[in-house]
Amino acid sequence: MKKLIIAGKEFTSRLFIGTGKYSSNKIMAQSIEASATEMVTVALRRVDIQNPQDNMLAAIDRKKYLLLPNTSGARNADEALRLARLARAATDINWLKLEVTPDPYYLLPDPIETLKAAEILVKEGFVVLPYINADPVLAKKLQDIGTATVMPLAAPIGSNQGLKTKAAIEIIIAQATIPVVVDAGLGMPSHAAEAMEMGADAVLINTAIATANDPIKMAEAFKKAVQAGREAFEAGSASVKNHADASSPLTGFLRD
Amino acid sequence: MAILKINGENKIFEKVPSTMKALLEFLNVDDATVVAEVNGQIIPRGSFHNTILQDGHNVELIRFVGGG
Amino acid sequence: MNIQQAIYNDAGYSPDRLNALISPEAQNHLEPMAKRARQITRQRFGNTIQLYAPLYVSNFCVNNCPYCAFNCKSKLPRTRLTIEDACKEADILAAEGFRHILIVSGEDKNFITVPYLAELSKKLRENFSSISIEIYPASTEDYQKLFAAGIDSIALYQETYDRADFARFHTSGPKSDYDWRLDTLSRAGQAGFRSLGLGFLIGLSDWQAQTLAMAEHADILMKKYWQARVSFSFPRMRPAENVDEKLFRYMITDTQLVQMMLALRLCFPDAEIVMSTRESQTFRDNMAKICVTRMSAGSKTNPGGYAEKEQSLQQFEVADDRTPAQVAAMLNSIGLEPVWKDWDKAFNK
Repeated sequence: MKKLIIAGKEFTSRLFIGTGKYSSNKIMAQSIEASATEMVTVALRRVDIQNPQDNMLAAIDRKKYLLLPNTSGARNADEALRLARLARAATDINWLKLEVTPDPYYLLPDPIETLKAAEILVKEGFVVLPYINADPVLAKKLQDIGTATVMPLAAPIGSNQGLKTKAAIEIIIAQATIPVVVDAGLGMPSHAAEAMEMGADAVLINTAIATANDPIKMAEAFKKAVQAGREAFEAGSASVKNHADASSPLTGFLRD
Repeated sequence: MAILKINGENKIFEKVPSTMKALLEFLNVDDATVVAEVNGQIIPRGSFHNTILQDGHNVELIRFVGGG
Repeated sequence: MNIQQAIYNDAGYSPDRLNALISPEAQNHLEPMAKRARQITRQRFGNTIQLYAPLYVSNFCVNNCPYCAFNCKSKLPRTRLTIEDACKEADILAAEGFRHILIVSGEDKNFITVPYLAELSKKLRENFSSISIEIYPASTEDYQKLFAAGIDSIALYQETYDRADFARFHTSGPKSDYDWRLDTLSRAGQAGFRSLGLGFLIGLSDWQAQTLAMAEHADILMKKYWQARVSFSFPRMRPAENVDEKLFRYMITDTQLVQMMLALRLCFPDAEIVMSTRESQTFRDNMAKICVTRMSAGSKTNPGGYAEKEQSLQQFEVADDRTPAQVAAMLNSIGLEPVWKDWDKAFNK
């Protein structure tokens, strides 16, 4: 399988994992391992002063997994910028999943604030992976300003509904000059395989694994699905669509 | 008596810990995994030991947690 | 990719697909290709054909292209139109109903300057809602000035994407710079042009290799200048005075030209496909039914040709010399609506 390259970095695995919603740090760590991912997202929150020693980060082997801080919780560009700079100060990592979600019900990303923040962050030297609704025009605009990927959602975060935005993602993939990572809403391994068969470069999965009855097994299932989908895409399908059209000949004039 | 606002809550001190490093020790927060802001300014980890805290400062202590 | 997939899959480009569609084997499948092409064209463009007219403003040229009647070695009476005369020509075109005009010129930078074109464009804007240019390659700054003056569309044919053939046909003059020419449409895209017209001169090089190269060029432009529309033209070598036809070893048949157009339509559902008056009535009428979206009519390819009774030298012999009204009537008769004005200038400022 061809390697995925984002901002000059090679990835063998096209499955990225989110670290939220796990019942314990231990299960999270085991699920990450079962997925064979190479990059996991993390969020920033205030330290709980009552419980200061709870440290999720210790459960992630930073020699094996790249950390991708996200700006979840940001409701506008300013808040996202603050979180981005905090994340970089904490880790010296300049990779960032840009997530600006003013609506707490569906957690849908704000396109205007995202574009605004992305432009500033790219200028400040961040490698920006923006989380967006599946909006092809927004995707082109982000590519123009220099983000490293675009990450269109398949369905709202945590909804597990699969590729609700399939038609729009097809357009994004067709027009893309940078990797397309389908992120949010993928609920089953078959959804992930479908996204990869369509030509997505990678997928990001969190809720579907973390809230499964057996997260570790589910992580492994997603690993296989992403591989299968990608191999199918690279193999090239032979299926033909049917377009019947009964009407009079159009090229007869060539024989006259 | 002095007050530091920590993560949005006012905390009363007899004497404010003199530096960020001292504050973190007091709170039992591992300084290797935390990001700190004082009055909106990010404090690099290397400067924790010489960042002076004063009565009325607004401190944010942030760390990585699980997220998608 | 096999032929069936290439024809029936959802419209979209890949080099594999285009290769299958222009292969010799695909020539046995032209009818299903044509049906698909028509279906895609109707879905995207409706039952309409955009009409435009060329306005030749100068046949002076410093290049020595052997295939062109205007080449610098050719001893023909040279004409340039003043802005006033160009506007007189344009008035005739406006009276015929045209609202889209294409300014054409030889490489005559001394007279057909950027300020000339800008001034002409401002005047033409009073009557025409879209002005296109087919002139010498210019810089991004030049295109920005022209865009500000109201020119929103450009056509520039690479003639041949094959570097060796290109060098053979363009031995001197500014046109000998292959890369400067190739990057022209990118510079225009950067300046905000809304329509980028590609083409290669059919007959100079192997048509299949050229089609593949042109498609790659289009794909790159579409990805980068995603707010502009790409168009394909098909200039086929035509008889012209002072042009030696023996130079052109790669002439193609009508069947091959149809195959090329259908293949491009299946790969590029949103590209304009342009048909000029180089082609015969029969060819134009039949292709209009299938996948053409833009046609010229009543064209005069010599400067002053619309007003003057005594005709100066044409760039090429027109094969379809019907009047615009006749072409419009023909389109109506086959269920297509001729669109004279598609874009309102009020939206462009």
